[in-house]
Amino acid sequence: MGYGRSDSYRVATTTEKDEKESPKKADTKAEKKIKDMDDLKKEVPLTEHKMSVEEVCQKYSTDIVQGLTNAKAAEYLARDGPNALTPPPTTPEWVKFCRQLFGGFSILLWTGAILCFLAYAIQAATEDEPAGDNLYLGIVLSAVVIITGCFSYFQEAKSSKIMESFKNMVPQQALVIREGEKMQINAEEVVAGDLVEVKGGDRIPADLRIVSSHGCKVDNSSLTGESEPQTRSPDCTHDNPLETRNVAFFSTNCVEGTARGIVVCTGDRTVMGRIATLTSGLESGKTPIAKEIEHFIHLITGVAVFLGITFFILAVCLGYTWLEAVIFLIGIIVANVPEGLLATVTVCLTLTAKRMARKNCLVKNLEAVETLGSTSTICSDKTGTLTQNRMTVAHMWFDNQIHEADTTEDQSGASFDKSSETWLALARVAALCNRAQFKAAQDQLPILKRDVAGDASESALLKCIELSCGSVKQMREKNKKVAEIPFNSTNKYQLSVHETENEEDNRYLLVMKGAPERILDRCSTILIQGKEQPMDEEMKDAFQNAYMELGGLGERVLGFCHLLMPEDQYPKGFAFDCDDVNFTTENLCFVGLMSMIDPPRAAVPDAVGKCRSAGIKVIMVTGDHPITAKAIAKGVGIISEGNETVEDIASRLNIPVSQVNPRDAKACVIHGTDLKDLSQEQMDDILRNHTEIVFARTSPQQKLIIVEGCQRQVRHTQTDGAIVAVTGDGVNDSPALKKADIGVAMGISGSDVSKQAADMILLDDNFASIVTGVEEGRLIFDNLKKSIAYTLTSNIPEITPFLFFILVNIPLPLGTITILCIDLGTDMVPAISLAYEAAESDIMKRQPRNPTRDKLVNERLISIAYGQIGMIQALGGFFSYFVILAENGFLPSLLVGIRLNWDDRSNNDLEDSYGQQWTYEQRKIVEYTCHTAFFVSIVVVQWADVIICKTRRNSVFQQGMRNKILIFGLFEETALAAFLSYTPGMDVALRMYPLKPSWWFCAFPYSFLIFVYDEIRKLILRRNPGGWVEKETYY
Amino acid sequence: MSSNKEDGGWKKFVWNSEKGEFCGRTGGSWFKILGFYLIFYSFLAGLFVGTIQCLLLTLSDYKPTWQDRVAPPGLSHTPRSDKSELAFNLNDLETYLPYTKAMRDFLSMYDEDKQRDQMKYEDCGDEPTEYKYRGDLNSDVGVRKACRFQRSLLGPCSGIEDREFGFKEGKPCLIVKLNRIVNFVPRPPSSNDSIPEAAQYKVRPNVIPIFCTNRREEDAGKIGEVKYYGIGEGFPLQYYPYYSKVLHPQYLQPLVAIQFVNVTMNTELRIECKVFGENIGYSEKDKFQGRFELKLQVTNL
Repeated sequence: MGYGRSDSYRVATTTEKDEKESPKKADTKAEKKIKDMDDLKKEVPLTEHKMSVEEVCQKYSTDIVQGLTNAKAAEYLARDGPNALTPPPTTPEWVKFCRQLFGGFSILLWTGAILCFLAYAIQAATEDEPAGDNLYLGIVLSAVVIITGCFSYFQEAKSSKIMESFKNMVPQQALVIREGEKMQINAEEVVAGDLVEVKGGDRIPADLRIVSSHGCKVDNSSLTGESEPQTRSPDCTHDNPLETRNVAFFSTNCVEGTARGIVVCTGDRTVMGRIATLTSGLESGKTPIAKEIEHFIHLITGVAVFLGITFFILAVCLGYTWLEAVIFLIGIIVANVPEGLLATVTVCLTLTAKRMARKNCLVKNLEAVETLGSTSTICSDKTGTLTQNRMTVAHMWFDNQIHEADTTEDQSGASFDKSSETWLALARVAALCNRAQFKAAQDQLPILKRDVAGDASESALLKCIELSCGSVKQMREKNKKVAEIPFNSTNKYQLSVHETENEEDNRYLLVMKGAPERILDRCSTILIQGKEQPMDEEMKDAFQNAYMELGGLGERVLGFCHLLMPEDQYPKGFAFDCDDVNFTTENLCFVGLMSMIDPPRAAVPDAVGKCRSAGIKVIMVTGDHPITAKAIAKGVGIISEGNETVEDIASRLNIPVSQVNPRDAKACVIHGTDLKDLSQEQMDDILRNHTEIVFARTSPQQKLIIVEGCQRQVRHTQTDGAIVAVTGDGVNDSPALKKADIGVAMGISGSDVSKQAADMILLDDNFASIVTGVEEGRLIFDNLKKSIAYTLTSNIPEITPFLFFILVNIPLPLGTITILCIDLGTDMVPAISLAYEAAESDIMKRQPRNPTRDKLVNERLISIAYGQIGMIQALGGFFSYFVILAENGFLPSLLVGIRLNWDDRSNNDLEDSYGQQWTYEQRKIVEYTCHTAFFVSIVVVQWADVIICKTRRNSVFQQGMRNKILIFGLFEETALAAFLSYTPGMDVALRMYPLKPSWWFCAFPYSFLIFVYDEIRKLILRRNPGGWVEKETYY
Repeated sequence: MSSNKEDGGWKKFVWNSEKGEFCGRTGGSWFKILGFYLIFYSFLAGLFVGTIQCLLLTLSDYKPTWQDRVAPPGLSHTPRSDKSELAFNLNDLETYLPYTKAMRDFLSMYDEDKQRDQMKYEDCGDEPTEYKYRGDLNSDVGVRKACRFQRSLLGPCSGIEDREFGFKEGKPCLIVKLNRIVNFVPRPPSSNDSIPEAAQYKVRPNVIPIFCTNRREEDAGKIGEVKYYGIGEGFPLQYYPYYSKVLHPQYLQPLVAIQFVNVTMNTELRIECKVFGENIGYSEKDKFQGRFELKLQVTNL
């Protein structure tokens, strides 16, 4: 329904301007895409709407009454294929599985595993009794990758299962007329030329050229995003097929009425099909976290290869054979692989995904969890996301005064004076001249939650009246309707005649509503304070002002008037003829105006404010009118108070728009048609120079262009673009959703195609949930850093034993098995627990991270983890090692160079520092005890490490120890270490031996040193912001 | 592998002439960070050495803190065997030269002229006697005297007459010793219950008996006679306890020589030698604790 303004709606998929624009799109993107887009545009020359019905019938050799012949239908079906969208090329399950198995981090572990097998193969080929270590390590590494791969695969499969539940799996039926017979067939079997009948509640089975209609309205929201039902009639009203009334589109819904149409396009050739094809043709780039992980792998391999080669050269210089040196090289590279990190990162992301799902953000792709956190621009759809997607009466004008209605979702807003008689009259008109009604059996529900049959404006009125005046149903029963003229686009009013409530009063009451100016024209009096007064020029001016003001708020304004018909002219029983109007519709009494808007959701202004303080630019992209869009943008704070657009400045200063310096305006509202004429440079210019932007009347392509424009926005003259989030629900949004770094679809109102294209789904359709997503995303990024810093640190105490084993020929201080026990055992829970760490400061008050500068893992983190904390840890471990050997008789001075004898199986009388003689097995037990002690020492120093990793800047004393999981982790790793050391049988299973209690304490001083050292570092960091310590150590 | 940026980026990274940066840092920056690490690591090194010094302070000079891993003692033999195998051809000197050389080297410690110093050595008799205590470990007696052990006690296996230790005749000798453990006194078996019948004849007072036999059933009788040389054909108690390297620098542990005088030729024989005693244990895993196994193959072809 479109009172007050044109309800034409442009989906510019199809306008000629788009076609001109495509060559201009001097993007370096693949040609294919441009071709795709061109293709999409070419398709639209749907011309049937301009043809007469006969021509259409001729074209498809069908008949307007009989429909197609069965034979013809079968022929068409064979030619065109079934009427269904080709599902997006779904990746086969095994490909998805392999992607999990070989993607990102897994590559590192696979390389490690392969190197291990290689080393084992070399050993097996050259030695008689090869040590199994490398083989076990290879197997464990492979197992880790496979298990984590399965885990993430099932995690993803779970999300996609939720996705599938969204799909409406009921096969659609369509009523077609073939050979003059109505028949219900599967919608897939519908072919071009079929004569189809649709009625309220049906889904349109294909693109239809309407040939006859009875009050048919369709909801095009899945295609255009506009939820207002639109009338369908056989007449061509617009050249653009998407705006003309005589075409109904595939997969939109018929809301009410009936219509008959000839199918002109089926399946992928429909408008909807084109968009879906375009969407699946788009490629979305890597997620930021995937890039980060790649960078991390580069760093780690860099360090590993550097160390490996250095020690390879050293080993050769020290006189080891080439083969030994190669095995050392492989060993060192493999020792640098953080085996547990893949699992840790996966679990951390999963935990966050779960937490977000609880807060109504369903993440389809694990890696997308973090993306919202690094987002710097959000392009948000208006309807349903920012607004309640529910027309609500916002203002009223009566008694020459504007009254504000309560638009909040929970009716907590201000109310107005309801005692005026004019209000009662207005309420009566609004209630009676209204075809909307509540659906049955909803009495328990609050009024606002009830479902209404009828269009949005009338529902809004119905609810408004029901809320303020009580049951509309009763009111209607008391005032029986005797005649009605429904709305049509030529009258632009709706009228009904009722009996009055007063039994004795035999007069009829005529009530009318419609476009305000049309209503005013029919009025000669106006109701003020319950008294009819003549409509004079002053009143008319007052009306004009009120109308302008409400219209300026972007609201849809309706005028209301009534008339108690004189009994002498219209006695009881008068036969009102609605087709040939036999009663007066002039000289009515004007009652008032009511204006409606789809009001913003309550939580949105706050959420937008949070985004803004978080440095995220919120851009509104809507198909709606600029005025409405701007009003909502102002309402939710996308255009903040005090910020003006060029037009605002012009009207304030009373100068032409062209004289205003665009730089003065922070905000701007850009119309879709203007957007088409912009060059890429102009587009960039707008995006760069305006902080508050609203795009109105945009088409799917334009959304795509806007997203690309935002992604091009470079910050701080770096090479990487901005990270853009896009929200949307309609099919028309899906190309943009796909193109965005993170597409956010709506769970309730969203179409399947948009959900398919999105990375994330807001289950409650609420923009405020995005803020949660941003917050969680930023938190997990910080916490992943901490987790990685923690995990990487223990790499140094794990690898240095091997290095010293090679360099100074001491007995091996830490074995492969114990390393695995750390990486995959004791380190796991504390590393994961860091994902639960609370933020150090208000993460929503800082700027989004700069993807080129703020890396997940950077040189500073490596410097701290490897160069500083790790070194202290290694010393702690070595100290325990020396303590155990010394207390057993081997003093440190004796150890250097002892390796060859130590590892000689035939030497069973090796002398220690006290002259005692050791058999091979005896000293190996001591060695394994050392491994155990080294392992326990790492656990002890990792206590301190996890505590210092809790914070990157604050002191632990500021942060507190409120992370219960972390405390659990501390106990868990200790218990696990004790279990591994003391459980009988571990000597056989894992070559771990029980430790004397005193050996547990060897690493304590080092643990303490780590804590003190890092607290001092962080103290200097806080005291001296921007100083050397920050530059070199703040990760 | 570490960075797959394009070549230009690499070169620029290594040396950026515009900013005067080498590997992404200016000279001053390098100086600062390297200086920091130098100081930091020196500090850590100092700290580590300090803690090691503390550790050494807690240790006794004479006796390790823990001995539970070294005791019960191992039983080791000379020559050492690679993978417990002792195989040679009595006609080929090359095949047993490493063995005899190892034995000569080992026994040179027991040369008579090295044991002449009366201040350091004393005679403890050629017959097994009681333990010879030389005061408490920590008493201020200082360096203790050691019992002499003459090579000649090993008879034909002493290497004095037969420089080839019987290998040439196909009657190879093995020299066996009980591993040294500070302050450890092996106790002879108190009852015969734990000793196989065949070995019971070897039990006599003040000696830790040693007995070699076939490991596998099928080798029964193929090993032939085994001769034992040494004080009491075992380990006599007067050589114990051992007072550590510092207090007992000249200590000579008692030896037992084992000679297989009638071994079956050209067959691989599994031999197990075992010592018996109250506080001598065996371990499934440690094949040299209180016993050892040997695969002996003498070829005469």
